[in-house]
Amino acid sequence: MAYTLRGRLESRLAVVLAPLLAACVVALALKAWWPVELAGLMLGVGLAFDLTLYHRLLPYQPGWAALPLGLLELAAVMGLGRLLHVGAPLAAGLVFYAGAWLLAQVLGHAVFPMVRLSYGEDGGELGRAGAGVAAAAVVVLAAAGGIAWETQPPVVRLAAGVHQGPLVLDHSQRLVGEPGAIVRGGILVTADDVTVQDVTVVGGENGIGVEHAERVLLERVHVVDAVLDGINVRRSQVTIRDCSVGSLESPYGQGIDISFSADLAPSVVEGCLLTGGQEGIFADSVHAMLKENRVRDTTLRGITVTEMAMASVTDNDVQDALGIGIYCGDYSMCDIHDNSIAGVRPDPESSDSMRQGYAIVSHYWAHVDAEGNEVADSPRSLGVFADARATSE
Amino acid sequence: MSRACAIVGGGLAGFVAYATLRKGGLEPADVAVFGTDPDPAAAWRVRAAAIRQRHMRSESDGHCAPTSFPGLAVRAALRRRSVVPLAESVCDRFHPTVEEFLEHVEELRTKARWDESFSRARIGRVRAAEGGFELDDQGTFPHVLLAPGHPGLAFPEELADDSRVVHAYEPHDYAEEVEVVGAGMTAATEWLNALAAGASVVSVRRREPERRPLNLPRELFTRRGLAAYHRTSPAERAAFLRRYSTPSYPPGRHWDEPLERARREGRFRLASGVNGARQIICATGFKRGLRDDPLLRRLVAEHGLETADEWIVLTPDSTVPALTDTMRTLALAGAPAQWAYPAADTLVGAKYAARRFLQKVQVWRTR
Repeated sequence: MAYTLRGRLESRLAVVLAPLLAACVVALALKAWWPVELAGLMLGVGLAFDLTLYHRLLPYQPGWAALPLGLLELAAVMGLGRLLHVGAPLAAGLVFYAGAWLLAQVLGHAVFPMVRLSYGEDGGELGRAGAGVAAAAVVVLAAAGGIAWETQPPVVRLAAGVHQGPLVLDHSQRLVGEPGAIVRGGILVTADDVTVQDVTVVGGENGIGVEHAERVLLERVHVVDAVLDGINVRRSQVTIRDCSVGSLESPYGQGIDISFSADLAPSVVEGCLLTGGQEGIFADSVHAMLKENRVRDTTLRGITVTEMAMASVTDNDVQDALGIGIYCGDYSMCDIHDNSIAGVRPDPESSDSMRQGYAIVSHYWAHVDAEGNEVADSPRSLGVFADARATSE
Repeated sequence: MSRACAIVGGGLAGFVAYATLRKGGLEPADVAVFGTDPDPAAAWRVRAAAIRQRHMRSESDGHCAPTSFPGLAVRAALRRRSVVPLAESVCDRFHPTVEEFLEHVEELRTKARWDESFSRARIGRVRAAEGGFELDDQGTFPHVLLAPGHPGLAFPEELADDSRVVHAYEPHDYAEEVEVVGAGMTAATEWLNALAAGASVVSVRRREPERRPLNLPRELFTRRGLAAYHRTSPAERAAFLRRYSTPSYPPGRHWDEPLERARREGRFRLASGVNGARQIICATGFKRGLRDDPLLRRLVAEHGLETADEWIVLTPDSTVPALTDTMRTLALAGAPAQWAYPAADTLVGAKYAARRFLQKVQVWRTR
C-alpha cells in the first residue's frame, strides 16, 4: 500500500481504537493503569513514526514490512515503557502488543478494504469515517487519561527538615520528600497503592514497615539507625528501588525482609545498597526479583531466599558476608545468575558446615540454578546440603 | 426509463463496473450492459492464449471483484491448502495463474448475475439527452459508464502491409527465426515463447524497456501518487502519460536467465529494425486514443468535449465534466480513462473508475 500521510494517521487511529477500549476494560479489571499507559505509548510511538519516518521513507509499503516495522515499534514501546516506568508485566505487555498488531493487520488488509471499497487507492484514508474514528480514538485516550489522572492517589509533599514519626500511611497516596526531608521514628504503610519517594528515615522499630498492602513503591528511600529491620514487608507486594539501608541498631536486624507473600504478585528489590545487619535481603515464602543490589558486611548471609520462595537473584554484588554469600533453602527455587560475590569469610564461631565461607548455598530440598556468577576471595563457591540440588551450565 | 445505469462495453472493465454496482446494492434490473460477447473475458482470453500467458502480471488484487479483499492469493491459498500464496502476496510476489483468474471471472459472472443485465449490442453513439444519455436506440440512462476497450491492435506503420507480420495477440506459431517488435511485457513473453519453441529471436526495439513489477510505479495506484498527478496541467499530464507508455516488464531471473542463455548460444540478439526474418511478431499493443475509437470520437465531436492530445479531459473521479452533474453521470473506464487514473487500463484501474461511478449513482439514488 502506498499510504498518504492522512491515510497512515487515520488507519493508525482506527486500528488502535479497539485495543484502546480493551486496555480500558483490562485497566478497570486489574485496577492498574499500565494497560492504558501501554496502549497510549503504542499509539504515540506509531503516530510519531508515521509522521517522522514512515511517510518520508516508505512511499510504498509492502505487506511484509508490517513485521519489521512492528518489531521496531515494539522495541520503542518497550524501551519507552521502561524509561517511563510503565508497570506492565513483560509477558502481558507482549501479548497485548502482539494482539493489537495482529488486529491491525486483519483490519488493514481485510476489513477496511471490504468496508470501504476505495481504501487501497485512497492510500489508507477512511473518508468521513476516518475523522470520526480518529476523534473517537482521541476521545477514548483522553477520557482514560483523564480518569487515570483523576483517580491517581493524592500527592503529599514532605518539606525539607525533620518530621517526627512514625508516619502511618493508611490510604492510597504518594508521599514525596523534598530534598532534605527526614522522618524520624519510621513509616508504616498499611494501604494499597502507596508510593514513598525521596525520603530519609531515621530510627523506628523498623525503618519502613509494609503490612497487608499491594502495589507499594518505595523509591529512593534511605534508612538509618532502625532498631530492627531497615525495611520490613509482611503479607504485601512491593517494589523497592534505589534505596539504602545502613547503621542498623540491632545485631539481628536485616536490611530488607520480605516475608509471607507467596500468594501475591512478585516483589522487586532493585538497585539498593544494604550495609550491615544479619542479612542484606531476606526473602521468605515470597516471589521475588532481587537484582542489581549491593550487599555489604552482613553477619549471617548476604542474601537469603527461603521457605518455598521462588526468586531470581541476578546481577547483585555481595561483599564481605560472614558464612554464606547467597543462600537458597527449604524447598525454595532460585535462579542465581550473574552475581558478583567476594570476600565471604568462614564463620569461626559456627560448627555448621554450611557456614564455612560458601559463596552460594543450596540447602534442604532447595533447587539453585547458578549461572555466570563471579566468586572472588571466598574459600568455597557452591555448596549443596541436605537433599538440595544445584544446576549450572 | 427503466434502468438507472448503463455500461457500454462487455469486457473486463465493464464487468468490474457491473460487479461494483451490484456490491453497491443495484439489482441486475437496474443495470444494462451492452457488449458483443456475454463472456466478459472473451477478448482477453484470446489474447492471453495467443501469447501463451500462464501467469498474470498483476498481483493478488488484480481481479474483478468489487472489494480488494479477499484477493486471488486468498483464493489460491484456500484452493491449494497452502499459505505459500499468502506469503508470496505479502512479498508482492504472488501472480495468479491465468487459469485461476479466468475461473474467478466465471464464478463472479454467475454470482453477480451478469447475464441478466447483458445485451448483445455494439453501441455506436452516446448522446446527452434530457434525464441522461441516449445510447443508440437502447433508451436513455441517467448514469452511463463507457468501457469501450481497445479500438484494435497496433502495428507499426511500416509493417502494415507486410505478409510476414502477425500480431502477438493473434493466434500464431513460431518460425525458425522470429523478429519480435516491441519491448514490453508481451514482447518479453514472446521472446521466451519463441526460444522455448526452438526459434532464434531478434528483439527489435526502439526504446530500452524499463524493469518494474507493475506497468506503473506503485505510488501511482493510490492517492499518494495521484494527488500530484491530478495537479498537473493538461500539457504536463499528456507528457506524463506518454512517458509512462514506455515498454516495461518485471524484473526477475525467470525472465533474464533464458534470455542470457539464448544470447550465449547465439539465439537471441537485439536489433533496431526488422531485417529479413520469415516471421515478424508485433508485440506492439493496442491502438490508443480518440482517433481510432469511433464511439469516443463521435462523443467528443457532438458534445464539444475538451481533449488534450489523444485523451478526453476527465475529472479525477473519471467522469466527463461537461456531461456530469448531480442528475447524470458519464464516466469512462479502461484505457480512455488514463486522464483520471494513469493505470486505468489495469484491473485495479477499472475498479478505480467503477467505485467512483458507484458513488455518483448512490448519491443520485439518495436524493
